[in-house]
Amino acid sequence: MSRTVSRRRFTLAAAALAAPIVLPRTSLGNDVKVDLVHLFSGAEHPIQKVMKAFNDKGTGVTVVSRQDGTTYETITQKAMASIAAGRGPAMMTTGWKLGDFARKTLGAQDFRQIFGADRTEALLARFRPQVRPLAAIGGVPIGLPWSMSTPVLYINQSLWTQAGLDPTAAPKTVDELYPMVRQLQEKTGKQGLCYEVNEWLPQAFIQNAGGDVIDGDGKPVMDSAAAVKGVEAFVQPRRDNLWRVMTIPEMVAAYQAGAIGVMASSSARQSVVRQAAKFDLRLIQMPGLAGLPRRMNSGGNFLAVYSKVKEQQDGAYKFMEFIASKEGFETWLETGYLNVTTNDIPVRPGNEAAQAQMEGGLTSETIWPGARGLEALTVHIDWITKIVNGAVSVPEGLRSDRLAIEKLIAA
Amino acid sequence: MTTAWRRAWRRLLGSPWLFAGPAVAAAVLFVWLPMAATLGLSFFDWSLLRQEATWRGLDHYRGTLANPDFHLALVNTGIYLLALLPLQVGAPLVLAFALMRVKAKATGRVYRTVLFAPSVLSFPVAAVVWLWLFNPTVGFLNTATGMVGLPPQRWLSDPDLAIWSVIAVAFWKSFGLNLLIFLAALANVPSDLIEAARIDGASAWRRSLDIELPLISPALFFAVVTTFIVVLDEIVGAVDVLTEGGPYRTSSNLLYFLYERGFRHFQFGEAAAVAVLIAAIVAGVTWAQFHFGERHVHYD
Repeated sequence: MSRTVSRRRFTLAAAALAAPIVLPRTSLGNDVKVDLVHLFSGAEHPIQKVMKAFNDKGTGVTVVSRQDGTTYETITQKAMASIAAGRGPAMMTTGWKLGDFARKTLGAQDFRQIFGADRTEALLARFRPQVRPLAAIGGVPIGLPWSMSTPVLYINQSLWTQAGLDPTAAPKTVDELYPMVRQLQEKTGKQGLCYEVNEWLPQAFIQNAGGDVIDGDGKPVMDSAAAVKGVEAFVQPRRDNLWRVMTIPEMVAAYQAGAIGVMASSSARQSVVRQAAKFDLRLIQMPGLAGLPRRMNSGGNFLAVYSKVKEQQDGAYKFMEFIASKEGFETWLETGYLNVTTNDIPVRPGNEAAQAQMEGGLTSETIWPGARGLEALTVHIDWITKIVNGAVSVPEGLRSDRLAIEKLIAA
Repeated sequence: MTTAWRRAWRRLLGSPWLFAGPAVAAAVLFVWLPMAATLGLSFFDWSLLRQEATWRGLDHYRGTLANPDFHLALVNTGIYLLALLPLQVGAPLVLAFALMRVKAKATGRVYRTVLFAPSVLSFPVAAVVWLWLFNPTVGFLNTATGMVGLPPQRWLSDPDLAIWSVIAVAFWKSFGLNLLIFLAALANVPSDLIEAARIDGASAWRRSLDIELPLISPALFFAVVTTFIVVLDEIVGAVDVLTEGGPYRTSSNLLYFLYERGFRHFQFGEAAAVAVLIAAIVAGVTWAQFHFGERHVHYD
């Protein structure tokens, strides 16, 4: 049996079928959609849990997850392209080190302008006073300082005890640590130590020696006598054959396989490291330098708002309020980041050392100033890598580093 | 439809532009216009997010040509080409001749599949395997070399070794395509010519060298020209996944340098200048390949 369909009916039916595809999603639901660009992989990652918990509350705002990469640089690249195309992210996890770039180039919004001074104050008041300035660039609050990590030592407790070392020993200085690492290496035959070769860990050494990478006026000072002393302490285990230099993914894989005794890395890497490690793992605070005050640094990201649409800005505020709440932040802490809020949340097992390090005071990650700040960061890492590989002496390398970065900052 | 319209329509139907038009439009839109825009951009400071651009004249070209990282990338590109061009063309060529002599069809198919398989893998997937093989502490390579008493190596983080590790992975990953081209070309060599040479008493070596090789020279020439471009281009994937150009740019190449300028440092004007320089280099070398290489190609 055949049935004739009129052209008019056919057109209407086709339009009805095509509508969900063609029409913008926001027009179909009443909720304000706020997309959150981030770099966290996995359906079970706490960021997904936080978003789901918020969305389930039915506040009239739906936060949509957009994982646009696995590094801060990658998601920033994509954000830049999408902002240029007029479809920028409403919110984005922005690395501390990219703060200047986010404010001046990407157009991260001033919270006081989009939320008003009182609401901004109410939101940020839920965070500890020492972390609040970290997401303020030039005094302008542009982010929620929600993700803070700090370098810690990951100890393979099985190798540690096998080497006859005190299972509870927590060396306070590298002078105490290095002989222990030597003992571990000699007794177990495994590699004693591995440091990350990047800009972040050497910053801890430079600061703990009393120096700085870039001073408060934005001037590179990484070749000061104190900074040289710090980097000398950093590369010493490489010279003593206690540390075989490798890339960070190689280091993590080798550590997880139980082939390295002690690894220095971000406290936020903990959940990933624990997933594959088949041995007892203990985290202790990063050792400082003998006779000098500790001045450890932090890392991580802040949550910035890039949307210029009022509804989305208000939606972002609601989501941030939820994150800052005890319920939201408790879920977020599953990442391994530190409790930087004033919420009374018990420290998660494994996070004790990092949390204690934070209580002792942390500085911000180096923010690379100027239009060529990101290039300066690459140049700095290159010089650090040359120094670590012994291609250049510490004073000579840091001096060349400073000269190169001065040029880039001035450009 | 009026007669004039009909006539115009008929003329259009008979016109070559009807067939060439879409391809030309696509080429203009996606190749020539972006190339022209890149050339223009290379004289400006410009950001994706800023409406205005600042005129910089030849500054980006001067800056790039004076940049030691560019020099290093240029030298590294030369090393990549000198190492990979003979490997990517020579090894598949030898293997293709060998595979053509495998009598059992099933065995031949297995060899071809195994040898071509790496080419269909994406670099990120292949890199996961290679990162494990290269691991200086728990990797297979150091375990294997350790068994014969060699010291462990830092395959990806030693500035003298990193580039060679990338070359090894790029070779493993990409040589299958040329193998396929050579196998197809060898399969098309008329069997009566080979048979005649055999009857005349030519050895297998002479038949390969004097008959098959000249007859597949167009394929060989094609492989040389495209491999040059592919090596420049494809190596970026291996560099990015394995070393990110490090340690301290020692495994970077020209395209990775361009990528870093544009998409890591967001210096689009400079990146455009680098792109123009690379295009000039590629055009120059390709011209030289055609000028000096094509005379050895037998199309008949």
